[in-house]
Amino acid sequence: MSDVTRILTVDDSPSMRALLNHALTAQGFDVAQAEDGLAALDWLALNEVDVVITDINMPRLDGFGLIERLREGSRHRDRPILVLTTESSEEKKARARAAGATGWIVKPFDPAKLVAAVRRVAH
Amino acid sequence: MFERPIVQAGSMAPERITVMQGQAVVSSDRNVELSTVLGSCVALCLFDPDAHLGGMNHFLLAEPPANATAASVDEYYGTYLMELLVNQMLSKGARKGRLKAHLYGGANVNRNMMRIGSANADFARSFVQREGIELLRSDLGGSSARRVDFRPASGQVRCRTVEDRFAPPVQPITRPAKAFGDVELF
Repeated sequence: MSDVTRILTVDDSPSMRALLNHALTAQGFDVAQAEDGLAALDWLALNEVDVVITDINMPRLDGFGLIERLREGSRHRDRPILVLTTESSEEKKARARAAGATGWIVKPFDPAKLVAAVRRVAH
Repeated sequence: MFERPIVQAGSMAPERITVMQGQAVVSSDRNVELSTVLGSCVALCLFDPDAHLGGMNHFLLAEPPANATAASVDEYYGTYLMELLVNQMLSKGARKGRLKAHLYGGANVNRNMMRIGSANADFARSFVQREGIELLRSDLGGSSARRVDFRPASGQVRCRTVEDRFAPPVQPITRPAKAFGDVELF
């Protein structure tokens, strides 16, 4: 792992990606962005990352699908994956947990709490 | 207030749904008309012409918390409110690439709230632009209250100025106590 924690944010909303980028780079993280699950898989095939932060509702490949695909292979089996979502249902939270998510964060996110969670899982 | 709904020849009288501050309503019912009266508040109307589906929200954002970005409104909460409307649209069959937008409101009705009305209009315009959603029409700013009637199934909109007394008194909304990005690690 490099000294700087590398984060991939996955969200179909450019506005949300911009907010995440601002909140995380301000704390010294190295942030990359993907617009959906498939774009994330493409990026992760070529790049290393310490933490993935993903939305659930996205076109092409949603957050559940992304987590399942990452957990299928050996390379990202233990990679911390935080779900960041507007979803509040216990059923969806349980589904994310079963798929292999590391944590569940409800939007609208609090930058300080998000950064604390990233630091905690990116050991 | 006497208002004639947007009635097409031969159609039934519409079911009018008032969209209150803080709400987002989505419908594909051809008989539904979404209505709201805006002073400093802003309404975003979204429409997918292929899915014959539309939705409207109605918001006035507060200034951001002290530890947030240097934005003039709470963009974290605002982006969340916008995402709720977009997600409701997508869950009912809309496609983001097909969405068309209308923006109304953000008037400087109350001198004491002049800055927040303009800031909300700026936020809404920026959001639509950043998301790549085509803005078909906007009527923002000024000093008069507006009434907006929107047929979500057809995308038909009517926006008129009304007397300020028809705009409900509002306070900028702050995040509810539950909405502070709680974290649960598994």
